[in-house]
Amino acid sequence: MKKYILIVLVSIIILPSCMNEAVMEPNTHEGNFQALWKIIDTRYCYLDYKKINWDSIHTVYENQLPSATGQIAFFDLMGKMLDELKDGHVNLYSDFDLSRYWKWFLDYPSNFSSDLIYTTRYLGQSYRIAGGMNYGKINNGKIGYIYYGSFSDAFSDGNIASILNSFSSCHALIIDVRNNGGGSLDYSKQLASYFFKKTTVTGYIRHKTGDGHSDFSNPIKIVTPGHPTIQWQRPVAILTNRMSFSATNDFVNRMTNAPNAIIVGDKTGGGGGLPLSSELPNGWLVRFSSSPMFNLAMGNTEFGIDPTIFVALTAADQANGIDTIIERAITALK
Amino acid sequence: MKKIIFLSSILGLSFALSSQNIEGQEYLLTNKTNTYGISVLSLIDPYLSPLVYSGNGFQFEHESRRLLSLANTNLSIQSKINIEAAYLLNPAQTSSMTYMAFDYGFGMHYHFRPMKGLLLMAGGSADVGLGYKEVIRNINNPGNVDLATNLNLSGIALYDIQLPKRTLRLQLAVETPIIGWMYVPLQGASYYEMFGLGNLSNISHVSSLINRRGINPKLTLDFPFKHSVWQIGIKYQTLRYSANDMVFNRNELSLLLGTTFDMAGFGGWKRIAPPNFISPNK
Repeated sequence: MKKYILIVLVSIIILPSCMNEAVMEPNTHEGNFQALWKIIDTRYCYLDYKKINWDSIHTVYENQLPSATGQIAFFDLMGKMLDELKDGHVNLYSDFDLSRYWKWFLDYPSNFSSDLIYTTRYLGQSYRIAGGMNYGKINNGKIGYIYYGSFSDAFSDGNIASILNSFSSCHALIIDVRNNGGGSLDYSKQLASYFFKKTTVTGYIRHKTGDGHSDFSNPIKIVTPGHPTIQWQRPVAILTNRMSFSATNDFVNRMTNAPNAIIVGDKTGGGGGLPLSSELPNGWLVRFSSSPMFNLAMGNTEFGIDPTIFVALTAADQANGIDTIIERAITALK
Repeated sequence: MKKIIFLSSILGLSFALSSQNIEGQEYLLTNKTNTYGISVLSLIDPYLSPLVYSGNGFQFEHESRRLLSLANTNLSIQSKINIEAAYLLNPAQTSSMTYMAFDYGFGMHYHFRPMKGLLLMAGGSADVGLGYKEVIRNINNPGNVDLATNLNLSGIALYDIQLPKRTLRLQLAVETPIIGWMYVPLQGASYYEMFGLGNLSNISHVSSLINRRGINPKLTLDFPFKHSVWQIGIKYQTLRYSANDMVFNRNELSLLLGTTFDMAGFGGWKRIAPPNFISPNK
């Protein structure tokens, strides 16, 4: 008995060395740089996919550290290093600024004007609002139109049932998610569920399982359930532009598998990597893509999803109060 | 609170007096201790952040202990409930963490009485703990759950210090987990993936001294004061566990203050109260 007690006591004393926490870098510019570089090196999910030489980037930016005196200069340098990832889901948060990479939409035509959709040709001024959705009938009452600007805006089954009931006389529906920068994946799934008759596999997700750039878990199915009581079984068009990002990208990916859906407009902005966050020794927060999401063919959705029908908003139409993309969707839904 | 302490003391006292009237009858008393504590704690949860969060907390602990039966006065059973809440900050104080925990434990001890005034208890306990940590500014990983059940080694030493007018009781209790089960999230995966999409692989782990280790010595002093017996104490808890390439750590030091008292319970078929014990329900 004494022997066993001794073994337990010795184990208690010795075994802590088997579980050591990761060593945190000191709170200096050098330490924070190393911590940030390592977080991306071990946990960012697209280094290999985007063919980024992160070791080389370490050398380039470490050499610039001595010239980055002061908090703001150091923050700008770290933000610039993160820009090398070309990812809208990567940000550095400090008390005084937010680093961001916005070229995924700034380098492209906007293909959206909120002034146009609120003209009398479309929603006008008497549209209704429910669950963050602005809606009304267009095209002489033949088509229902919903503008949904953020997947952070909550909606309920009751909201959707009311909206779809108001469109009972319409032969088709348009859901406009242009300039919708994303939000909750739960809302993305829920909104898509109204257009599926049965539970359908619509994509996959993986996550980093180790420090290696290609250490990923096996793909996990992303399914879109068919809503048990509320379903729109007539044609539906989803309008997209480059600012359709993140959870909106996920929604569009789901809808590419819906039975009566088409995607009209520009390629989405992407943002296919589910972001997580971590912290630096100085307390700054870093957000980064951690879990890549894929379409049904295991294609990466990070750089966006092509529409069924490519359409751009023309300057001439815009000058005449016409939204080229809505008009093309109306034509396609006839 | 004063009323409760007073009534409890009266009940204990009345039992002591009444028992003198029941010759030949023996009843088991249950010792109950309620303590409130303030804590300083630090913890590392790598799922939420690589940084050490530290801060202050508040806790309540209820402990109940009684002998197993009149026939065997060397075995006692014990149950414990611990509820805790804490607010912590990262080192740069740019982010906060809210921590809440609930723990229930049940144990059994064998009693040794090597000398007058000294009681040693050795045994084991089982506990189940549920905790929640939240770093509200995190993105897609704002919270993490602690869920574990353990079989522990447990030891308690009680020593009665006789003073001219009263008796003080010094108590040292120590517990350490030996084997159990714990939930640990997947590093790099969101709760959306784990629970929204059902990727529950590798979140369930058998724990042992290899991957979960801790110890929680508690030193208390019981002293009679007016109509009550008060308890002051100090408790240290350290716990470290590892799974899914993450090492979690928690260290906590608490100052405790409460009361301890003996109670008698009557109920069921076999524990009918003697007629001189008047129930408030009759």
